[in-house]
Amino acid sequence: MTPTPPPLHRIDRLGALLGTASIAAVAWLPFVTFKANRIASGTARSLFEVLPFGTALAVAGIVVVVAAAAIGVASPRSRLAAAIVGIAVVALALAAAAADLTPPGNRLVRVSPGVGCWVLLLVQALLATDALARLRPGPGLRVLCLALTGAVLYAAFALGLFDQLSIMREYAVNAGTFAREARQHVLLATGSLGAAVLVGLPLGVLCHKVPRLRAATLQVLNLIQTIPSIALFGILMVPLGALATAAPWARELGVSGIGAAPAVIALFLYALLPVVANATVGLGRVSPAAVDAARGMGLTGRQVLTQIELPLALPVIVTGIRIVLVQNIGLVTVAALIGGGGFGTFVFQGVGQTAIDLVLLGAIPTVVLAFSSAVVLDALVDVMSRAPQ
Amino acid sequence: MIQLESLTKQYGPTTVVDGVTLAIASGSITVIVGTSGSGKSTLLRMINRLIEPSGGRVLIDGHDTSATPVHLLRRKIGYAIQGHGLFPHRTVGENIATVPRLLGWSAARIQARVDELLRIFQLEPAEFAAKFPHQLSGGQQQRVGVARALAAEPAVLLMDEPFGALDPIIRGKAQQDLLDIQRRFGTTVVLVTHDMDEAFHLGDHVAVMSQGRLLQYDPPALLLTRPADPFVSRLTGTADRSLKLLSLTTAGEAAEPGVGEGPSVPAAASLREVLSDLVWSGATAATVMRSDGTPAGRLTLAGILARGRAG
Ligand SMILES: Nc1ncnc2c1ncn2[C@@H]1O[C@H](COP(=O)(O)OP(=O)(O)OP(=O)(O)O)[C@@H](O)[C@H]1O
Ligand SMILES: [Mg+2]
Repeated sequence: MTPTPPPLHRIDRLGALLGTASIAAVAWLPFVTFKANRIASGTARSLFEVLPFGTALAVAGIVVVVAAAAIGVASPRSRLAAAIVGIAVVALALAAAAADLTPPGNRLVRVSPGVGCWVLLLVQALLATDALARLRPGPGLRVLCLALTGAVLYAAFALGLFDQLSIMREYAVNAGTFAREARQHVLLATGSLGAAVLVGLPLGVLCHKVPRLRAATLQVLNLIQTIPSIALFGILMVPLGALATAAPWARELGVSGIGAAPAVIALFLYALLPVVANATVGLGRVSPAAVDAARGMGLTGRQVLTQIELPLALPVIVTGIRIVLVQNIGLVTVAALIGGGGFGTFVFQGVGQTAIDLVLLGAIPTVVLAFSSAVVLDALVDVMSRAPQ
Repeated sequence: MIQLESLTKQYGPTTVVDGVTLAIASGSITVIVGTSGSGKSTLLRMINRLIEPSGGRVLIDGHDTSATPVHLLRRKIGYAIQGHGLFPHRTVGENIATVPRLLGWSAARIQARVDELLRIFQLEPAEFAAKFPHQLSGGQQQRVGVARALAAEPAVLLMDEPFGALDPIIRGKAQQDLLDIQRRFGTTVVLVTHDMDEAFHLGDHVAVMSQGRLLQYDPPALLLTRPADPFVSRLTGTADRSLKLLSLTTAGEAAEPGVGEGPSVPAAASLREVLSDLVWSGATAATVMRSDGTPAGRLTLAGILARGRAG
C-alpha cells in the first residue's frame, strides 16, 4: 500500500466539480423565475437583478467561499459547516428575492426558484451529505441530524419565510387537501407494507424450511415485480371492478376498480419480493451450528425459529422492509392515476394544468418522505447489525 | 446406563448405521472412533433423537427414549458440538442459561449455576458472563459450549468432536477439564473424535465404527491387545502399539512391592513416561513416589517391558 499523502494540499475531485458548478451557477444561471400570474410565461432573473447589489454580492461571496472550502479544505467538519451555511444563505436569498419581487398585497405574481438556485441548493446539499458521510456518524447521530433538519425546515415554513414563493402559494390554495393526501400517501405506503410483512414473513420462513418451494415462489414474485406499475393497476381494475359490481359487501368495504383498493393490492404484490427474498436469505445465513445446538438442547421448532433464527436474520429482514418502504413511497405517487390519492394527486393535476409548482408540491414531499424513511430504517439496521454476528 | 439395541439408520437404500448394539455404563466415558463417514455422528445424534432411528431403540436407565417428547428428552441430555454452536446474539451467561431457562429454573438458581460453571471452566463470571461469544478466544468459546451443555446437570453428555478445532495445548487442557468435571458430576459421556490419542486418553471404553457397523467396543487396552478386526489395528496403528499400551497404565498401578534404587518417578506418570526416563538415565529400575512424598514401591525395566506385550 502506498502511504496517502497529507490531505491538506490535495484538491478534492468531487469538491472541485461541485464547487465549480456552484460558482458557475451563481455567475451565469438565473436565480429565480418571475411570472406576472400563474399561467403567464416566466422570465429568468439573475441574483444581481433581484437583490440589492450589496446583498447579492454578499450572497455570491459566500457561495464562492463555500466552493473554495469544498475544493481545498480537508476537514469534513469544516466542509459540513460551510455547506450548511451555504444552503441557509441561498434559501434566505431566495426568500428575500421572492419578497422583493412581490408587490405588497399582490396574490397573482409568481416567483419560483430558477435553475441557478436549484443547482446551488442541490450542489450544496450534495456537499453536506458527502461531508456527513465522511464523518461516519453512528445511527443515533444520523437520526438526530435528520430530526434537526426537519425541525429547522418546519420552523422556516411555520414562520412564513417562504410564503411568497410560488410553491407555497400552491400550498396555501391546497392546504386542506394537502394534509388529507399526505395522510393517504403514508397510509397507502405503510398499509401495503404491513400486509406484505404479515404475508411475506411467514412465506419467507416457509421457503426457508421447504427449499423446493423457494425457487418457484421467488420466480413468481420476480415476475410480478417486472410488471410496470401502471399496467398492474390496469390489470387489477378489471377483476376488482367486476367484484364490486357483483358483490355488494365488497362495494361496502370500499372495493372498486379504481381508488385505494387496486393501489394497495398492487403495492402489496410489489412488496412481497423484497420481504420474502430477504427473509429467506437472512434465515439461510444463520449459523447451522447454532441451530443444531439449539435443537440439541431441547428448544422446540417454534422456539428455534423465534429465539434463534429470526433474531439472527432480523437485520437482513429489516433491510428488506426498508427497500419496500422507500419503493412504496415512490410508487404510491402513481396510484393517484387510478384515484388512489396521495401526493401523486398534485403531480398529475400539475401536469394537467402545466403548473410546474403544483407538480413540485407533490414531488418534493414524496422525496423528503422517502429519504427520511431510508435514513431512519438504515439506522435501525445498523443498530441491529451491531448486535454481534 | 444407556443401551443401544440394534440401532439402525437408513437414508433411502443406503444404511448409514447398521444394527449397533451396545451398553454404556453410567458414569463412564465412551469414545466413538472411525473413519470419516462411518456413521459416528449419526449414531450419537440418534441418542438424543436429533436423528430419528429407522430401526432399533435407545434406552436410558431402562426407559425407551421414543416414549418422551423429543424436546423434553433433549433438555435432560447435554449436547456439545465442534465449533461450539454458541448463539451469537446472546451473552455467555445467557448462552449457558439456555436449558435452565427452558426448564423454568428460578432466576437466582440460574445465576448461581452460571457463575459456578464459569468458575469451574476458569472464566471469571464478572469478566465473562456479559461478553458475547465473538469476544472470546476459540478455546474460551469451546469451554462455554461445554459449560452450556452441562448447565442443567444432565446425567448424560453427548459430544461431537468437541475439541476438534483447538490447538494441541488448549486441547490437552480441555480434555483434562472434561475428565475432572466428569469425575466431579459422575456424568455419562459419549464423545465422538477422530483423534486416537484423545480416544485412548479419555475413553473408559472405545467404540470403533466402520461403514455403519460397530466393529469393537472394549476398553482401550483390549483394542491394542485383542483387535477384533484388522481394521481396528489399522486404526489404532501397529508401529507404536506397545508404547500406547504402556501409556494406559500409571506407575502407581504397576508398582511392585519393595524399595527400588534408581530415579524416582511420580505415581501418576504413565509407564511410557517411566520407560522413557529409564532409557534416558540408563537405570534398570525406578522408585515410585506418591504425591505426598512417600514411596509406593518400585518398577523394573523388565517388569515394564512385560506390560507392553500383548496377552
Ligand atoms: N441426511 C442425510 N442423507 C443422506 N445421507 C446422509 C445424511 N446424513 C448423513 N449421511 C451419510 O451418512 C454417512 C455417515 O455420516 P456421519 O455424519 O454419521 O459420519 P461421521 O462418521 O460423523 O463422519 P465425520 O467423521 O466426517 O463427521 C455419510 O456417508 C453421510 O454421507
Ligand atoms: Mg461427524
